[in-house]
Amino acid sequence: MNSTDHNARTEQMEIDASAKWPVLFFFASALAWLMIGGALQLIAAIQLHTPAFLADCACFTHGRLAPAAQNALVYGWGMNAAFAVGLWLMARLSATTLRHGGWLFVAVKFWNLGVTLGVLGILGGYSTSYELLEMPRFVPLILLVAYALIGVWAVTTFSIRNTENVFASQWYLLGAVFWFPWLYAIAQVMLFKAPVRGVLQPVVNAWYVSGLYGLWFVPVALAAAYYLLPKILGKPIANYYLAPLGFWWFAIATAFAGGSRLIGAPVPVWIPTLGTVANFLLVVPVVLIALNLFGTLAGRYAALSGSVTLRFIFVSMLGFVVAAGLNLAFSLRGFAEIAQFTLLADLRDWVMLYACFSTAMFGAAYFILPRLLEREWHSAVLVKAHFGATVLGVAVLTVGLAAAGWQQGHLLQDAALPFGDITQAMTNWFALRSAGLALLLIGHIAFLINFAWIICPFNSSGSAPAQFRPPPVLPLSQGPAAEGHA
Amino acid sequence: MKNGLALFLGVFTTLALSWAGLLLTAHQQLGSLSQFKDPLDETLYPQPLSGLANQGRLVYQDLGCVSCHTQQVRREGFGADLGRKWGQRGSYARDYIRDESVLIGQRRLGPDLRNAGNVELHPYADADFFYRLLYAPQSMAPGTNMPGHSFLFEVHRVAGRQPSAEAIKLPSKYAPAAGSEVVPTYRAQALVAYLLSLKDTYDYPIERSRNAPAAKPKEGGH
Repeated sequence: MNSTDHNARTEQMEIDASAKWPVLFFFASALAWLMIGGALQLIAAIQLHTPAFLADCACFTHGRLAPAAQNALVYGWGMNAAFAVGLWLMARLSATTLRHGGWLFVAVKFWNLGVTLGVLGILGGYSTSYELLEMPRFVPLILLVAYALIGVWAVTTFSIRNTENVFASQWYLLGAVFWFPWLYAIAQVMLFKAPVRGVLQPVVNAWYVSGLYGLWFVPVALAAAYYLLPKILGKPIANYYLAPLGFWWFAIATAFAGGSRLIGAPVPVWIPTLGTVANFLLVVPVVLIALNLFGTLAGRYAALSGSVTLRFIFVSMLGFVVAAGLNLAFSLRGFAEIAQFTLLADLRDWVMLYACFSTAMFGAAYFILPRLLEREWHSAVLVKAHFGATVLGVAVLTVGLAAAGWQQGHLLQDAALPFGDITQAMTNWFALRSAGLALLLIGHIAFLINFAWIICPFNSSGSAPAQFRPPPVLPLSQGPAAEGHA
Repeated sequence: MKNGLALFLGVFTTLALSWAGLLLTAHQQLGSLSQFKDPLDETLYPQPLSGLANQGRLVYQDLGCVSCHTQQVRREGFGADLGRKWGQRGSYARDYIRDESVLIGQRRLGPDLRNAGNVELHPYADADFFYRLLYAPQSMAPGTNMPGHSFLFEVHRVAGRQPSAEAIKLPSKYAPAAGSEVVPTYRAQALVAYLLSLKDTYDYPIERSRNAPAAKPKEGGH
């Protein structure tokens, strides 16, 4: 190992040391919310086939429980996990330490306070009922202030970078960092502070929901994939020259894709049509990004068995493609006529949040945490249990919800069929969804135990590397930031 | 790409364009949509909600009914909404301009409610129907998985008192023990008033003509 490599290693360790406590705290909060959200989501799913379950208490009626679960998962788990992975990635890729991390503790506490008040507010009857904006009206202020602190950290870390090149992951992260607060603030103003009239409200809501998934969660997942694939495989991103085109095209088309959620709704027809056009335009960047990611993996699929991070990232990449396919399908009028308002529509959002985003965060966590704590995961069995439960759960839910939604859509099309009969026909599918969610929850518990084990200060070094074989050493003097030239 | 500023400007422009192109343009087009004054009965449509119904709208919001119910009727030829008697016509943008919160919904785990109070479509759906539906959904809608909303009702002992005039009548299977009565709370009354207010019975001439199928050209006409 020459001296440049040695210097780079020391530098990485310094960066990891500076990011250690904030990132750990973000991960810990994310996991707590994953548990709470997952449990609430499971109860809400059970209520669909066992309506009497917890129905007598107003706090746990399905209409409150379902949005509370979704908010806990999106703002509690999703955002915290994205902060953890995003900040660490930004520091590593900018080759600079995360400075004054103490402020991030303040930020994460306020963020968690906001989400807690929000979820309790929904359960307590202060829901606004706008999708993903259900939290009571005073909560967004807390969230935006907390977010400002976190976002500023990501941006300043980027602006004091010590690298010449800006790598693809950084584009996606920087984009997401700016897009989320704008989307959120604009939606809040246009729906609550100075509400627009009539059907403009659903238009704003659809724009926000589509933006939150497409311009926040998916970019963060892509940032993780663009970083971890070359890092673990020890080779540069394939066809990297396509990445800038893919990024800009993806960003612009996604920004306009929200209207396709309103096909058939009482809004001017150009709004869903614009969404349809944008979703068709999205085919190109999805192909470009797939050429980058799958191209990097091509010929090296054997490496999947050696690294659990790589396997999670692979699932996330498949999720990305499936999500794009579903979004495209939903922008076709004939498909939307059958599938909208059914379980298939739920599947579309779930694939983006879980199959694409959450799996990428799990993969990143398996990579980041041992480096931060300088010890290995304790239990290889639990790692495998987590991955197995995730893959099985994702497969069951994707196939199950797709089939169920398609059947539900066709039953709804039959005007002679009483509504109660449709519900009865769906009961087994609802039960299958509960089973799938329970499976995922088991995986989460396995991950939680391993997480608690690895952060435990009395823990001697663990014995179960997430890399089952030592990864090839990258020429660190170039680092991933130089991927494009390699 | 090396230039952070160019990256920031691109990121900003992307969302700014989307905001201006989608939301601002839609606002420009629809923001000033006004009520329509019917020339015959000289009334403005759509009519605003009554006070009680408006309070019911808040109950509808806080209970999250939108989790399972839409409030949008798709037009003839796009879905079976009209066949299911969810409306007499597809919903127009103008129908919603007096609604303070427009919750058109994304899921149909339950039926559409845009015309829940439209007696021309379902004459059986009076206030008592909705009270019973909310208290014991199975009694009114067999096979449903709608949860009971017993927390919107109070169960009183009748013993020694005059029975409440507002007590709801339930089939014996769902009724409370003998000597008790089920009385809707104020929140239940508001919610039911809101549900009964949901009806788009008036058809606007402008929208009707715009949405009508194009007239067939006359054959052989010169």
